Amino acid sequence: MRHAPTMLVLAFLFLLPVLVLILQAGAPGWRYPELWPELGLDGVRFLATRPGPFLTALTGSLGYSLATVVLTLSMTILPAKALAYSSFRGKTLLEGLLLLPALVPAMTFSMGLHFIFIKIGLADTAPGVILVLSMISYPYMLRALTTGYTLMGREYEICARNLGASKWRVFLEVELPQLLPAMAAGGSVVFLVAFSEYFLVFLIGGGSVASFTGYLFPLITSSNRGLGALVTLVFLAVPIALFIVLELGLYRYHRKRRMR
Amino acid sequence: MRHNVILGLAPLLLPYCALFCAGLTLTLAQSMGLFLPLGPGEATLEYYQALTRDQGLGLSLRLSLFVAFFSAAGSVLGGTVLALALWRMPPGLRRVGVVSKIGLILPHVAVAFLVLLMLSQTGLVSSALFQLGLISTPEEFPNILHTGSGLGMILAFLLKGVPFALLLIGAVLFGFDIRLIQTARMLGAGPLRTFWSVTLPRLLPAMHSAFIILFLYAFGSFDIPFVLGESHPGMLSIRVFDIFFHRDLSQRPQAMAILTVMFVFAAVFAMLYNRFAAYMDAWRRKL
Repeated sequence: MRHAPTMLVLAFLFLLPVLVLILQAGAPGWRYPELWPELGLDGVRFLATRPGPFLTALTGSLGYSLATVVLTLSMTILPAKALAYSSFRGKTLLEGLLLLPALVPAMTFSMGLHFIFIKIGLADTAPGVILVLSMISYPYMLRALTTGYTLMGREYEICARNLGASKWRVFLEVELPQLLPAMAAGGSVVFLVAFSEYFLVFLIGGGSVASFTGYLFPLITSSNRGLGALVTLVFLAVPIALFIVLELGLYRYHRKRRMR
Repeated sequence: MRHNVILGLAPLLLPYCALFCAGLTLTLAQSMGLFLPLGPGEATLEYYQALTRDQGLGLSLRLSLFVAFFSAAGSVLGGTVLALALWRMPPGLRRVGVVSKIGLILPHVAVAFLVLLMLSQTGLVSSALFQLGLISTPEEFPNILHTGSGLGMILAFLLKGVPFALLLIGAVLFGFDIRLIQTARMLGAGPLRTFWSVTLPRLLPAMHSAFIILFLYAFGSFDIPFVLGESHPGMLSIRVFDIFFHRDLSQRPQAMAILTVMFVFAAVFAMLYNRFAAYMDAWRRKL
C-alpha cells in the first residue's frame, strides 16, 4: 500500500473529528479523564421532547441560505455574461472591486450597514440578513458563472438567434442547460457560506432571525457538549443531503435531455 | 454596446453600491465622529490618533497577523502536499479525497468546538495522555488554548483551510496534462527538477489565490476567535466587538476606526500581493 500514509492523514484530519462528534453526541456525560465514553441517548431524547427551537433554527437557516442562493444568482447572471463577453476600459479594476466583499473582513462594511439597516427598518429582519449574506457570498457565484459563460462561448447563442429564437427562449433553452453545472457549483459555495455564518446573522438578525449557528453557539460554549456535538452532526448532514439531492437532480435532468 | 454593458452590470452594481459601498462609507463616517447614534457630530481625526496611543491594539494586530499568516501558509502547504499525494493515486482511489469536504462543510463555529473538545486541558488528547500515565492532572497538559499564543485558532483555521486549498490546487492538478511531465522526464529531468520547473509553476496561481483568501479571512474573522475565547490580547475582530457591544456609545468611533484601518490593510494587501505574484511570475519566466 503505497498510498496508505495519504489515507491515514485524510482519515486523521477529517474522519476522526466526525467519530469524536458521534461519540460525544452519544455520551453527554463523557468527561475527563475517561477515554471510552458510556453511551446514552440523552441528547437525542432531549431534542425529541423539545423539537420546537431546534426545528425553528434549522428551517430559519435553511430558508435564508436558500434565499441567498436565489438572490445571488439573480444578481450575477446578467453581469457574469457582460463580464465574460465584453471588454472595456477598467474591466480588470472593476473585477477586482467586485471581488472585494468576499476578501475584506465582513465586519468592516457590515457594522456600518447595520446602522443604515436600523434607520430603514431592515435590522432584525430576515430580508436584512439575506441582503448582507448575499453581499459576502455573491463573488463566488459571479466567478462560477463568468467561467461558465466563458467556457460555453457565444456561438450557440448567435446560432439560435439567427434561427429566430427570442432572447428569452435562447436563455431558457440554450444557455440555461449549459450553465447548470456552473450554477450548481456557485450555489453550493454560496449556500455553505450563508448556512455556516454566525456573526453576520447575529449582528443583522439581532436574535429575532432564528439561525442554526445561533442555536449551536450557546451549546458549545456551555457545558452541554453532548447536545452541541449532536447539533454539529446535523449541521454536517443537512448540506451533504442537499448536495446529494442536487447531484442526483442534475444527473437525471441531463439524462432526460439526452433521451429527448 | 457600451450602453449594453452598463445595463448588464446594473443588477450587481446597484446592490454593490447600496450595501457594500454605503456600509463602508458609514463605517468611515462614524470613525470620524459623523452620523453617530447620539446625533451628528463634527468631523475629527482624534479617534485615529487615539489608536496610535493604544498599546493593546498593537498586540492585537500582531496576533491577528501571526494567526492569519501561519494558518494561511500552513493550509496552502498542507493542501498542496495532499493534492500531490492524491494526484499520484490511481483515479479510482483518488475519490477518497472526498472526505476532505467534511472540513469545508463544517462551520467555523463547529471547527472551533472540535478544537476545544480535543485540545482543552480536560479534552480528549489530555485524557489519552492521562490514561497512558504520561500526566497525572489536567494542569500538567500544556495550556494550548488560553495563553494568547493563537495556536488553537491556527489549528482550527487549518482544519478549514487545508481542504479549501486542496480544492483550489486539486482543480488545477487533476486536470493537468500528463504529457508535459512525460516529456520533461524523457528529456532527462529528474523528479525534483520536473516538479520544480514543470509542475510547481502551474500550481502557483492557485496557491497564491488560496493564500490570499485564507490570509484575509483569518485576519478579519470573528467566529473562531470568539469560540476559542482568547481576549488578552484578542484578535482585532474581538477587540472591535468588545468596544462595539460592551462599552458605551461614545467609544463606537474607535471601533469604526479600527475597522477602517482593517479594510484599508486588506484591500492594499490583496492588491500588492497580486502585483507581487505577477511580478515574480514574469521574473521567473525570464530565467
